[in-house]
Amino acid sequence: MASSQHVLLSPAELAYLHASLSLTPPIRPDGRSPTQFRPLVAETGILPGTNGSARICFADGTEAIVGVKAEVERTRTRHDFPSLDESAEDDDDLDDNQNDVVKGDNDWVEMTVEIPGYRDDDAGTVFLSAMLSEALLADGEFTKRLWINQRFHWKLYLDILLISPPLSYPLPLLSLTTHLALLAARLPRLKSEGDEDPLFDDDWAAAPYLYPRPSEKGSKATAPAPAARPPVTLLVMAVGNNIIFDPSKEELAVADVALAVSVGESSSSTTSTTSSKPTAMDIDTEETKGHNLRLLSVRTIDPPSRLTPPGIPNASNSAYGANAGAKDTEKKKQQQEQARTAESEAVEGVWKAPRGGAKTLVMATMVQKVLEKGGVADEVLDALDGVDLN
Amino acid sequence: MADRRRINGPVGTTNPPIYDDAPEKQSEGVKVARSRPANVIRRMYLKTGVTPSASGSAYLEIESSGNGGSGLKLSCSVHGPRALPRSTPFSPHIILSTHVKFAPFATKQRRGYIRDPIERDLGTHLETALRGSIIADRWPKSGVDIIISIVEGEQDRETSKAQGIEAWDTMNALSGCITVASAALADAGIDCVDTVAGGVAALVQDAGDDAAPSIVVDPIPSEHEKVLAACCIAYLPTRQEVTNLWFKGDLPASDMDVYTQLIEKGIQASKSANRVLVDCLNETVG
Amino acid sequence: MPLDTSAYSLALLRVDGRRWNELRRIHAQIRTQAAADGSSYLEMGHTKVMCVVNGPSEPGPRRGATSGGGSGGGQSKNAEVAVNIVIAGFSSVDRKRRGRGDKHILELQSTISQALAASLHTHLFPHSTINISLHVLSQDGSLLAALINAATLACVDAGIPMTDYVAACTAGSTSTYAANDEGADPLLDMNHQEEQELPGLTVATLGDSDRVAVLVCESRVQVSRLEGMLAVGVDGCKQVREILDRVVREKGIKMIQEGTVERGVGLNDMELD
Repeated sequence: MASSQHVLLSPAELAYLHASLSLTPPIRPDGRSPTQFRPLVAETGILPGTNGSARICFADGTEAIVGVKAEVERTRTRHDFPSLDESAEDDDDLDDNQNDVVKGDNDWVEMTVEIPGYRDDDAGTVFLSAMLSEALLADGEFTKRLWINQRFHWKLYLDILLISPPLSYPLPLLSLTTHLALLAARLPRLKSEGDEDPLFDDDWAAAPYLYPRPSEKGSKATAPAPAARPPVTLLVMAVGNNIIFDPSKEELAVADVALAVSVGESSSSTTSTTSSKPTAMDIDTEETKGHNLRLLSVRTIDPPSRLTPPGIPNASNSAYGANAGAKDTEKKKQQQEQARTAESEAVEGVWKAPRGGAKTLVMATMVQKVLEKGGVADEVLDALDGVDLN
Repeated sequence: MADRRRINGPVGTTNPPIYDDAPEKQSEGVKVARSRPANVIRRMYLKTGVTPSASGSAYLEIESSGNGGSGLKLSCSVHGPRALPRSTPFSPHIILSTHVKFAPFATKQRRGYIRDPIERDLGTHLETALRGSIIADRWPKSGVDIIISIVEGEQDRETSKAQGIEAWDTMNALSGCITVASAALADAGIDCVDTVAGGVAALVQDAGDDAAPSIVVDPIPSEHEKVLAACCIAYLPTRQEVTNLWFKGDLPASDMDVYTQLIEKGIQASKSANRVLVDCLNETVG
Repeated sequence: MPLDTSAYSLALLRVDGRRWNELRRIHAQIRTQAAADGSSYLEMGHTKVMCVVNGPSEPGPRRGATSGGGSGGGQSKNAEVAVNIVIAGFSSVDRKRRGRGDKHILELQSTISQALAASLHTHLFPHSTINISLHVLSQDGSLLAALINAATLACVDAGIPMTDYVAACTAGSTSTYAANDEGADPLLDMNHQEEQELPGLTVATLGDSDRVAVLVCESRVQVSRLEGMLAVGVDGCKQVREILDRVVREKGIKMIQEGTVERGVGLNDMELD
């Protein structure tokens, strides 16, 4: 599905598009700059029946709704060796008891993606949901938020609905919507203590956010510690050496390579434990007081360009006299030889589906562009900060 | 819904018996650590032409780790290129369909006969990796089926799920899938720009608290204290291009060097696997 | 939770404080989505649905899990009305996931498809498909009625010629079948709690007329009560039709004022204020 859906562009159009995107700077069909995103409309808290919900509408009309629902579930006790992972877990400050380590399980999150017209076990749909949940679960911190006590945990259901037909590859849209829904998600405040059956506060206003907010009163002077944020998955593509963000369907159709890069943001406290250079990291965060980005996952997306119909160069087109007068077999054979070479060699201005993979340098630059300070991921997270969470 | 056409195992899951000596070994902390150098992959056995009825086939076996676990055993068969059914719309390229399936007994947890999301996900990755290497426009209006069955998944007896090891195992499985499928495609005589092979590299934290994380190729998760990040790469050595990249983990954005090194190591692993692949193909031809 | 039916007879007020003949708040919007040919959003109380209509268009190469109903396939003389319903997992209080092959959803799909196929002028679009995709975001009773209303609005927005609005609503009875209460009053527009306890039916009528387009009754009810319920339901449909009509007119006026569309002939008598 999705990335390799039907592209109704002729080889000539593809060639033109490819050529204009390979210019420096690239000229995009909608006049955006390479790193510019399409405008979008976002709102959160649209469904009072859920723990958190969000809706995003892109300017091209694609629209997605995400609802987060949590249910209390009894934690299954395992008959494994409990000694194994206790040392590995960094103990949480909430508990004084040694055995009460907060730990999560990836089974506690269930994600479903619904795309109209596609079965939910379609390879593309599975790929999308695998990608989104992979980023969410990558750091292992997220599931710890769902821990209630040793016997109970929250089971989080993430239902991702694409409302509109999939006009462009829906990954960025679904990811941004999920991000907002998780930011807006709240879980009822726990009233019971210890390992007794959980009892919750009825007052929804007192319910804490799943992702706690940085304190509001701290203005820029006090530099509030950057709080953890759910991951964002960005779609990046490259044409030649040009790197283009948030490609539309047509642009994706001529991509040499497309990558989905998931970026998360963690609070600075957890960073130093896993970072290889803790001191350097701390200095960085103090300097920028911006986002404490972390690379969570990178996946290659099969670009639909590989499935586009190739153009035929004049040399091998019979309408332009390629086979004219080729009566004797000798000449015919020669021309077949030519056709072979023409097949493997690119002809200027004639579209040919890309072959092979991508240069490692291009791929590294794509990831670099996302992650660098003041890069696209920073911009996107800043922009998402502007969404009012009610 | 239960599949009634086959004889299924009992409903519900049971844990396999765990023998007494295993936990003792754990508690003593004598976990077999990695004995290979950091940039050497495990030995593998690759053979093509194992399934006579398929147009191309290959079998891959990777030796097991020292921890008494099982190695990876994969068998791949390629059917085609063949004409597409009448109802399919015109395609200017060959249509790849990849199908990865764990045998029900391949892993500790029994797998059903219906493909689960992990298997479908592997199939998508594999398709991306192979599509870059195949010269697809030589076969318009045709399709090829690539079927991989994972006879034995790589899993240690004592691994605990809480460490999230399953995900890292999936990466090793994918790299094996890519290598074996590439061999089978070559056996089937389907034109490729180059042989593509999979390689895995990981950033691992070894036992011992203050040891700095190091990068190793072809990691076995149980040999390390913790896997921080890993990547699986499908690489075309003569064109020096990557057809599929799957990175997963948790890396601070300021550590781009680590990321680059990880990718380089992944490519190195892929090159090593490719040597085995090319040797195997040469042997078959010669 | 059992419904306290005795309270009704005392104050003649229902659980949510309505009288027997009152509708819940209906809020609707059309043209909610730029990418689709027609779209709508409809709330009936806490039941919230979204509808996206694409087409009439050539049937695509793949024909997904849609239920073709009404009139034949893509090769016939009439357009096919393909309805696809997605009930979001978070829509009900307890999360319940329904697969695509769920019988209940299939039935809803075919009911809506047949109702609309009868009202739309499908004969004008041979060899084509009208894709109606419905998303249920929140459920609180009267689901089928809300889906039909939303689909009607979206079809209006898509500009597909149709005879009239298909407006739907539910009707019930104040006491259970088992109570066998002769003096049971009919109720209009049931919410989820009432639907669980009391007998009810869904009725859809064609425009202003009393012609019934859809009638679904899935509960046991005494025959003597049915007529009263139906009369109340049909009356409710007329109210719903007024509301839907107002939504369409208001949007039309707004679009003319914004200059999105030109003022057509015959619109001179319309008040633009």
